[in-house]
Amino acid sequence: MLAISERKNGANPMVPYLGKLVKVKDLAAEIKLFSVEMLDGGREAFSQYYPGQFAFLSAFGVGEAPFGIASTPERGPILDFAVNRLGSVTSELHLLGEGDIVGVRGPLGNCFPMDEFKGKDLIVLGGGIGGAPLRPVIHSVLDNREDYGDLTILWAARHPSLLVFSDEYEQWRSAPGTRLHLTVDQPDDLWDHNVGLITELLEKVSPSPKNAISITCGPPVMIYYASKLLEKLGFKAEQNYVTLEARMHCGIGKCGRCNLGEKLVCVDGPVFSMAEVGGLRESFL
Amino acid sequence: MKLTTHEELSSWLDSLAENLNLIAPRAVDGVPLYRPVQHSQEVLWDFTRPVLSVKEAFFPATERLLTIEKGNRQIRLIESLSEEPQVVFGVRPCDARGVKMLDALFTAAPGDPYYARRRANTTLVGLACREMGPTCFCTSMGGSPDDASNMDVMLYPIEEGYLVQAVTSKGQALLDNYALQSREHSTGQAEQKTAFVYEQAEKYPLPERSAWAAQFEDAYWDQVAERCLSCRICAYVCPTCRCFDVRDEALPEAMSNASPSGNGSSQFERIRCWDSCTGEAYRRIAGGHNPRAEKGQRLRNRFLCKFDYYPRQYALGSAACTGCGRCIDACPVNIDITEVMQHIAEVSQC
Amino acid sequence: MTYTQEIQNKARELLGGGQVEVVIGYEVGPRGRTRPAFVYDPQDVERLVWNQACTHNLTTYLNDHLKPKHPEKKQGANSEARRVAVVVKACDSRAINVLLAENRFERQQLHVIGVACEGILEDAGQAGNERSAHQLVTNDPPQYQARCRHCNERTPLVYDTLIGKPESHLGTGPNPARPDAYQRLQTMTPAERAEFWLSQFDRCIRCYACRQACPMCDCPTCLYERDDSLWVGMGIGLNEKRAFHLGRAFHLAGRCVGCNECERVCPMDIPISLLNRRLAQEVEAAFGHRAGIAPVPAPFVTVLSNPGG
Repeated sequence: MLAISERKNGANPMVPYLGKLVKVKDLAAEIKLFSVEMLDGGREAFSQYYPGQFAFLSAFGVGEAPFGIASTPERGPILDFAVNRLGSVTSELHLLGEGDIVGVRGPLGNCFPMDEFKGKDLIVLGGGIGGAPLRPVIHSVLDNREDYGDLTILWAARHPSLLVFSDEYEQWRSAPGTRLHLTVDQPDDLWDHNVGLITELLEKVSPSPKNAISITCGPPVMIYYASKLLEKLGFKAEQNYVTLEARMHCGIGKCGRCNLGEKLVCVDGPVFSMAEVGGLRESFL
Repeated sequence: MKLTTHEELSSWLDSLAENLNLIAPRAVDGVPLYRPVQHSQEVLWDFTRPVLSVKEAFFPATERLLTIEKGNRQIRLIESLSEEPQVVFGVRPCDARGVKMLDALFTAAPGDPYYARRRANTTLVGLACREMGPTCFCTSMGGSPDDASNMDVMLYPIEEGYLVQAVTSKGQALLDNYALQSREHSTGQAEQKTAFVYEQAEKYPLPERSAWAAQFEDAYWDQVAERCLSCRICAYVCPTCRCFDVRDEALPEAMSNASPSGNGSSQFERIRCWDSCTGEAYRRIAGGHNPRAEKGQRLRNRFLCKFDYYPRQYALGSAACTGCGRCIDACPVNIDITEVMQHIAEVSQC
Repeated sequence: MTYTQEIQNKARELLGGGQVEVVIGYEVGPRGRTRPAFVYDPQDVERLVWNQACTHNLTTYLNDHLKPKHPEKKQGANSEARRVAVVVKACDSRAINVLLAENRFERQQLHVIGVACEGILEDAGQAGNERSAHQLVTNDPPQYQARCRHCNERTPLVYDTLIGKPESHLGTGPNPARPDAYQRLQTMTPAERAEFWLSQFDRCIRCYACRQACPMCDCPTCLYERDDSLWVGMGIGLNEKRAFHLGRAFHLAGRCVGCNECERVCPMDIPISLLNRRLAQEVEAAFGHRAGIAPVPAPFVTVLSNPGG
């Protein structure tokens, strides 16, 4: 299997590196996990990246779209991306299988300030596929367990079939000082955990804001209500972090599309504290 | 400064056109546009400004970023950077000011090599305006119709011909290499240059950058946007607007092995082309959610971006509007940026 | 009473009596340019004017303004259906018939203020009376727009209030000093016509202003703008532009009423209305149908009837 990337100028930020799909797994209904092995120059480019960063995946012939990187380099050189089939690029990606070549452009964006989180209790809220960019946060914490305080994970989806990374829940639960709470809007017959919105779950769990950081990712409306609730629970805006998505075309601050007010999600984000974006009149809703 | 006659200038332009890509204002079915010319006779002289700005020379309406060759489990990417040297003649100062802002944006790290390559390969020869047009307001935006900044060569039309100023060494090289005939100008050069008097009916107030965001909730945006057609002309004629879309498109040439999805073509190009935040589909994402579904939201974004976000994001030191007035001429429903500026100025004073 | 005064009086009456929520008409902006106006308050009706620069086809705003407040409820019997008043010329009024035929809204949602127009000037929509930046200096006296010069009906076909008396046909006929471009086109060979149109489309920037100005172009997502479009590429290239303009002309055959706003708004002065005019001629010859004369759909527009009744 041969893949050649011919680039006159190795630093062209609009040209993707090539990667090979080494595993394609069904993560949930209409959501697949793509595991990519970088080739050539991409190996070096992705030898270092941080939780919260994203990359553009190319389905050559259709186009590119941005996805949070759902892996950490500490656990190995393979990159994971969770792809929800919704539009033209994701539909094309969903047709690919092991051995196929994709483009990967990045790593892009800022990252979670994991160093600032050390010694603190972390409350992680993941809604649906929003869990994907949070997975590297969880992995980082579990792999460096003593550096962080308690880890409380609230993980939600509309239906049990839409919960992501369910094969890791045992691992997460059994780690020291770590609790996992699951909830769905609509249960099935086998469901024996909480039923309800993640905000209802959050109210039940009622984590303490003392020396704590919250990290939320999910549909815009979930982020909005979750942050309102966190404020009610006593979390200050600076303690609440979110990772946002927006339609993007360049990822490097040129095409102008992803702006939220004066912030560009691709270069000023996608990770923001609510102190930065909470006051923005332009809603991400 | 030296003086050259119209004939000598035309002769110089002929020589440029013979040796490299010369772009100059030309009437295309009566529409003045910056276009390639083969001969100085094609150049249009007596008009206010071209309908489109000079940004096309660096940021074309459609541009190929890559060629993608797709075979069976094999992909080859070839980036496509422009190599051609070009000279743009007759650049209006408002356009050159716009180029300076696009420079700040496209060269901000990580730099865009497509823009950078075209920019490096281009020499700008400016022509001062004898007078301001009815919708021009560059003097309200910190510019001026005889502003030489950001040009490589500047020409000032006077009665005897044109005063020639080499602004950069690249400009001087162009004058030397293609031998523009000129002579020292006898009377006081400085006086001659400033002999233009730019009479203007009004100078428009330019509100502080912070005044714009403060009016975010103002019902004004919805009111103005009611007549907006979301036609996007304003962004396309603007010297500083730069929103673009990126997609892969099939090339008709090589239609061979089917790709995994069954699409017959194996050669593609990744292209980018102009887009505008005023278009309805601009922020729509897969799945259908559109955070700017209302015209008022989009129009507000356009003005706030122009006067607040864009200058802040790229540290421009001024609003991102050059006062060229094209959007005023082009808007089919008379949404007028100077009226918007006046409104913001008025409400900020309350 | 001038037309302006009549329109203002009517607007005051309709708004004051709560019969409509807005009057869509024309006003003059600070630069002296006539533009669309949306008047909600009877105190504001003095903004409304009528003049020979009232070029805009205001029916293009109707689809948005008449969208049901509660889309889950059916239209028609919906007592909360919105009502607007709109000022129209004869050509604009035909657009209302086309939109009614295509079930965009109900007739009772409109109060149509029809004006028996005396012609719209060619540089309407430009800054005051000054030539636009892209007109070369000529010494022609002000001309009426091409659509006015061959206008067949000056009285609106749809109205609730009629302003002005129907007068004799305006028809100044083709100006010999400026032969009608349409006539010239008909005398060209197909090869010449192809060359003409490709050279016109060459400067098109695919801004879509023509489409946006048109009342009949109201697809939720235009075929030519679909993200997943395999039909026409996104690029601003000649092939794509040719497909767009020719395709759009065909989509409008039998539906275009010839208001020519598409051509007026084009920043590149591309005479696209000539395409529409030719197709309208073909449709009339083949089917005896002229768009908007009655609220019936074009003969080859497929109408899906509601299985429920």
